[in-house]
Amino acid sequence: MTFPQRIQIIYRKELIEVLRDRRTLIAMIVVPIVLYPLLMVGSIQAVTFQAESLQRAKLVIGVTSESQEASLRSLVEYDAKELAQLESERPLGGESLFQLPESLMDWQVHRLDNQQALEEAIQQRQVHVGLLFEDEVLTNSVDRQNNVMIFADQEEARSAAASRRLTQMLERVGKSTARIRLESVGLSRVFVEPFLIRLTNLAAPPSILGQILPLVLVLMTITGAIYPAIDLTAGERERGTLESVMVCPVPIIDLIAGKFLVVTTIAILGAALNLASVSATIYFGGFGQVLGRSGGSIPIGKMLFVLGALIPFAVLMSAIMMAVCCFARTFKEAQNYVTPVILAVLIPGGLAALPATRLEGAMLVMPVGNMVLLAREVLVGAIVPVSTIAIVLLSTSLYAVAAVAVAANLFGQETVLFTDVGSPRAIFSRRWMKPKDYPTVPMSLLLVALLFPPWFFFQSSLTPRAGDDVSSLFHATAAAMPFFFVLIPLAVLHYAKVNLGNALSLKTTSARCWLAAILLGVSSWVPAHVITVTQQALLPLPTSVLEALAKFQTGIEALPPWLGLLYLALIPAICEESLFRGVLLGGLLTRTRALYAILAAAAIFGVFHFVAFRFPPTFALGIVLGYLCWRSGSIFPPMLAHFLHNGLSISEVYWPWHQHLGIPTTDQIDHLPGQILIVGAVVFFLGLVLCRSNSLKNEGSLQLPGQSAR
Amino acid sequence: MIVADKLVKVFPGSNGLEKRAVDGLSFRVERGQIYGLLGPNGAGKTTTLRILSGLMMPTGGSATVAGFDVANHPQQVKRLLGFLTANTGLYQRLNPRELLIYFAQLHDMEWRVASKRADHLIEWLGIDGFANLPCGALSTGQKQRVSIARALVADPPILILDEPTLGLDVLSNRVILSFIRRERENGKTIILSTHNLDEAELLCDRIGLLHDGRLVAEGDLTSLQSLAGEQRLGNIFLRLVHADEPSVTGAVDL
Repeated sequence: MTFPQRIQIIYRKELIEVLRDRRTLIAMIVVPIVLYPLLMVGSIQAVTFQAESLQRAKLVIGVTSESQEASLRSLVEYDAKELAQLESERPLGGESLFQLPESLMDWQVHRLDNQQALEEAIQQRQVHVGLLFEDEVLTNSVDRQNNVMIFADQEEARSAAASRRLTQMLERVGKSTARIRLESVGLSRVFVEPFLIRLTNLAAPPSILGQILPLVLVLMTITGAIYPAIDLTAGERERGTLESVMVCPVPIIDLIAGKFLVVTTIAILGAALNLASVSATIYFGGFGQVLGRSGGSIPIGKMLFVLGALIPFAVLMSAIMMAVCCFARTFKEAQNYVTPVILAVLIPGGLAALPATRLEGAMLVMPVGNMVLLAREVLVGAIVPVSTIAIVLLSTSLYAVAAVAVAANLFGQETVLFTDVGSPRAIFSRRWMKPKDYPTVPMSLLLVALLFPPWFFFQSSLTPRAGDDVSSLFHATAAAMPFFFVLIPLAVLHYAKVNLGNALSLKTTSARCWLAAILLGVSSWVPAHVITVTQQALLPLPTSVLEALAKFQTGIEALPPWLGLLYLALIPAICEESLFRGVLLGGLLTRTRALYAILAAAAIFGVFHFVAFRFPPTFALGIVLGYLCWRSGSIFPPMLAHFLHNGLSISEVYWPWHQHLGIPTTDQIDHLPGQILIVGAVVFFLGLVLCRSNSLKNEGSLQLPGQSAR
Repeated sequence: MIVADKLVKVFPGSNGLEKRAVDGLSFRVERGQIYGLLGPNGAGKTTTLRILSGLMMPTGGSATVAGFDVANHPQQVKRLLGFLTANTGLYQRLNPRELLIYFAQLHDMEWRVASKRADHLIEWLGIDGFANLPCGALSTGQKQRVSIARALVADPPILILDEPTLGLDVLSNRVILSFIRRERENGKTIILSTHNLDEAELLCDRIGLLHDGRLVAEGDLTSLQSLAGEQRLGNIFLRLVHADEPSVTGAVDL
C-alpha cells in the first residue's frame, strides 16, 4: 500500500470519528451557525442603538440664571433659522458631499444657582453641558466680545457630544454675525477669510465587516482545530487506542499526517462555515448600512481569497495545537494546555485588529497578526501589494511547516505515546537527549522558523529611510549575521547533542568539487541575470525598489572595497551557508529525498531575503549551492561559490567589469550579449557536470545523510 | 522465533532520575510455544512486550522476531504479530465492524478483503450481536472480544497478549482462555503477560519470572518447581525473589 493510500485510510477513519464527536460538531457547526450570527446581530444593533440614542438624546444644558437662559434660547432660535436657510440652499443630489452642520436637536434647560452647582451637576451627570455667559446680556457691539464658558465632562460620551454640538452652534452664530457685520460695512466674508476650506471625506463609514470579521475568522479557525487536535492526540492517549494503532505496520509519519490533515480540514471547514454564516447574516439580516462601502453586498471574491489565505494559517494552528496537545495525558489536561495558546494567539490578533495597526514592518511576519491584517485589508477593499501578500503567506507557511515537523517529531516520542513512560517534559531535557550525528528535520525547520521573525524585525528596523546613512545597515548586518545564522544555531545544536562538525558539514572534499565551486561561483551570475531579466519583463520592478537598489549601490561605493567584500560576500557566504546548507539542508537530508531537501532549503533561503523580487534569483542560487553541498558532502565548496558569486556582484561597484565585457549596467536590466551568455552557460554547466561527477561515496568527504542508506 | 538478548530499557523517571524498567533481560521463545511473562506491577512486563512489538526502542541489548531486529526493522516485526494491549482501547465512536476493517486496511488489505476478514472474525468470536454498535457502548467482555479480533485481523503467526483477562468476569475469561488454546493449536507463537498464576500454570509452555526488570528464573513449570522446591507458581516466585529472606508460605497472587 502506498503512502497516499494509507493517509487516505487514516484520514477517512479519523474524519468519521471526529465528525461523530458532539463537541467537534458544536464547535464547528453549531457555534458559527447560531452563536456568532447572534453575537454579530447583537453587537451591531447595540452599536447602532448607542450611536442613535447619543444622536437623539435630549441635551440637558445647565445655566445659572434666567437671563442666561434667555440668551441661550435666542442663540438657538437664530441658529435654527440659519440651518433652515442652509437646508433650502442645499443642491439636489449633493447630500453625500455637502452635509449639514449638526443641529442642537432636542434640548432642555436646567437652571442652577451658580457656577459651582453647575459643575457639580455635570459631574453627577444631571446635566450634560454647562453654559455661562460672562455678561448677563449678549452684546452685539463691534468693540466687545461675548465671553462664553462651556463646562463638560469630556470622558463621558453624552457630555462630550453635547459640548461639541453646543460649541458648533455658537461658532455658527458667531460666523453668521461676523458676516452680517462685514456686509454692513460693504465687505464680504472673504475680507477676513481669505481661504475657504472644504474637506471632502471620501472614507467609507467604519466597516464592521472589515474590522470584526478577520479576528472572528482567525479565532474560529483556531476553535475548530482545538477539539479534534485534543481528541486525536491526548484523547487517543487517554483511551489507550494509540498503542493499538501504533503496533500496526504503519509508519508514524503516515499516522500523524492523517490525523493532522483531519485537524486542518476541520479548522478550514470551521472557517468556511463561519464565513458563510457571517455572509448569510449580513445578507439576510439587512446590515447593509453599517457595513461601509460594500453596502451590504457579499464580496464573494474577497471572501474566497481570505479563505484561501487562511489555509496556511489553519495548517499552522492545527500543527501548534497538535504539538501542544501531545504533551497532555488526558483530554482535560490538553484543554489546560490549549488555553495559554489561545491567549498567546489573541494578543497579536487583538493588536492587529486595532484600527491604527497597518500591515507593514514587523506585522508582516507576526504570526496570527499578519493574517488578521491581511484579511482586513482585503475585506475593506484596500490594495495589498503582491510582495506583501507573498511575505504574509510565505512566513505563515514557513511557521506551519516547522510546526508540523515539530508535531510529527513529538508524536513519535515514547514519552508522548505511552502515558506510563516518564514525562514528555524529558524531551527537552539535555540529559535525556541522545547524541546525534545530524540535526533532525523538526529541529532544523524549527530553528529557521524561530530565526525568521527576529531577523526580519532586525532587517526592517535597519531599512534606510530618506537621508539615512546606508553604510550603518551594512555594519549592523555584518555584525548580526554571525550571531543569528551561526552562533544561535550552534548553541541550539550543542544543547541537543548534535555533532557540530557533521551538522555544519565541516568536511574535506575532492579537488573536482573545489573546481566545480569556482566554476559555479564565477558563472552563477549569468543564470541569475537571465532570471532577473525575465522577471523584469513579466513583472517590472517598482520604482521604490529601483530607488532602494540605487541607494544600496551608493552605500556600497562609500565602503572601502575590502570592507564591501567582507560585509557583502565573505560574511554572508560563511553565515548563510552554515545555516541554510549546513544546518537546514543537513537536517532535511536525514529524512527527505535530496531533491526535495535541496528545493526546500533553497526556498527558505529565498524567503529569508524578504523582498519578493529577490526570491527567484536567490531561490535559484540556493538550488545550485544546495546541489554543490550535497554532491561534495562539504560546506566549504558552497561557501566558496557563494563568496565568488556575491564578490563578483560587489566588485562591479568598484571595478565596473561589466562595461569592459560590454554588458549593460545593473540599472538597465537587459539581455546579456550572446557571447557572454554562451560562455557563462558553458562554464556554469561545466561546474554542474563536475559536481555531478563527484562520487557520493568519495573518500575523505564524510557523507551527508541523504547520500547514505539511512 | 523470538529472542531477547540482554535487553535494557531506561526511562526518565518522574523525580528526574533514570528508571531502569528492563535490566539485561534475555529469553527465547520457540515457534508454537506459549511463553508466560510473570511478575508484579512495575516488573517490566509491558515494557518488554512493547520492545518486542517494535513500539519502543531498547536502550541496550537487542531483540529479534523471526530474524528481524526490532530496533532496525520495526515495520517488518509489526507485520508478524498481533498485539493485545493491557487496556481494551477501542475507538469509542466506531463500531466493531468499522474498527476491524480499519485495522485490516492498516495491514495492507484491500477494502473487500478487509471486510471479509472482519465478517469472519465477527462470526468466529461471537461479535455478531454487537458488531454495529459503537464500541463505547460495549461491555468490558464485549470490548475484549473486539480487541482480540483486532489483534487477529491480519492472522499473524505471533501473538503478544498483555494481561488479556484483566478485569474480565468468569465467562469472558473462559472465552479468552479457550481462544488462546485454539491459537496454540493453530500453530501460533504466543507471549502472554499475566498476573493470574492459575492461567499461567494452565497455558504456558515456558515461564519467565520477572522482578525489577530482571529475569529471576525461567523454565517450564516442572523445572521451576524443582528449582524453588515449591508447587504453586506464586510461592515459587516469592521464594526465588526473596531467596535470602525467611521462608514465605501460602499462596500468593502476584
